[in-house]
Amino acid sequence: MARKSKQVEVRMISEYLKERYSGFNFTLNVPLGSVSERLMAEEGYQRALGLARPFRPMVDAVVVLPHYLLLIEAKVWNVVNGLAKLPLYKSLVPATPELREYMPREVLMQLVVGWSNPNLERMARSIGAEIHIYSPPWLEEVVEGMHKYWTREYRDQREKKLAMREFFGVE
Amino acid sequence: MVLENYVILETGVPGRLHFFDHVIQARTITDPITGGPATRHVLIFEVDQFNGKEVAAKYSIMAEKHAGQFKPYLDDKSYRDYDFVITPVGEGFRRSWSLQVLPRK
Repeated sequence: MARKSKQVEVRMISEYLKERYSGFNFTLNVPLGSVSERLMAEEGYQRALGLARPFRPMVDAVVVLPHYLLLIEAKVWNVVNGLAKLPLYKSLVPATPELREYMPREVLMQLVVGWSNPNLERMARSIGAEIHIYSPPWLEEVVEGMHKYWTREYRDQREKKLAMREFFGVE
Repeated sequence: MVLENYVILETGVPGRLHFFDHVIQARTITDPITGGPATRHVLIFEVDQFNGKEVAAKYSIMAEKHAGQFKPYLDDKSYRDYDFVITPVGEGFRRSWSLQVLPRK
């Protein structure tokens, strides 16, 4: 099974954007929300953005469409977290200096996932977000591994493996 | 800035780059945690434009998180059709990169 540290979600969002929005201007990892005006006055616009950066929430991607601004979160594991963040991120768009040049535009929300279920879709409808399933073969393998992770068979195998590691003193 | 033919991006400052070729090289580095030698794959782009100026330089990426942002553009070298505005954020394990992808007209 792929580890989270393999950066699966980075590859997923990059591929998805290239496949679907390659004709448009888009940005990965966009900081959202305001930056202190005092900081801007003291440090200058660009430097203030840089200083504030680590303290601002970041959305996975923003696509600039002719009449819309599309916020995208891509999730393989914590799909509900991704969905729950979207309306909060949307509320920050009007205050985001980096996106000011694209306003006024209506803001749309999209969650990109490797799999979905009726509950996730119901929650998405309730907040006005779209769900898009993106599952190329390499991601299907990851998703399959994730589902197996919770099965009895996988847990038994894992316990056996851990017992063997302990027996042989392997860390 | 371009230092000894390598583009170095300052944290928090965006740089606009255009790539025309790339290579993936294996490099032996000193692991900062164990202090021992370790092999890492490095993605190196050949840069011909940096912040609107013609250059002959390289942009080197060791972080998987950053390299993954370019993965869909490598096989067909379609990065040639785009300008990339890269802004590094944070330091160490918390470092991330904002990447704006701009289709070339």
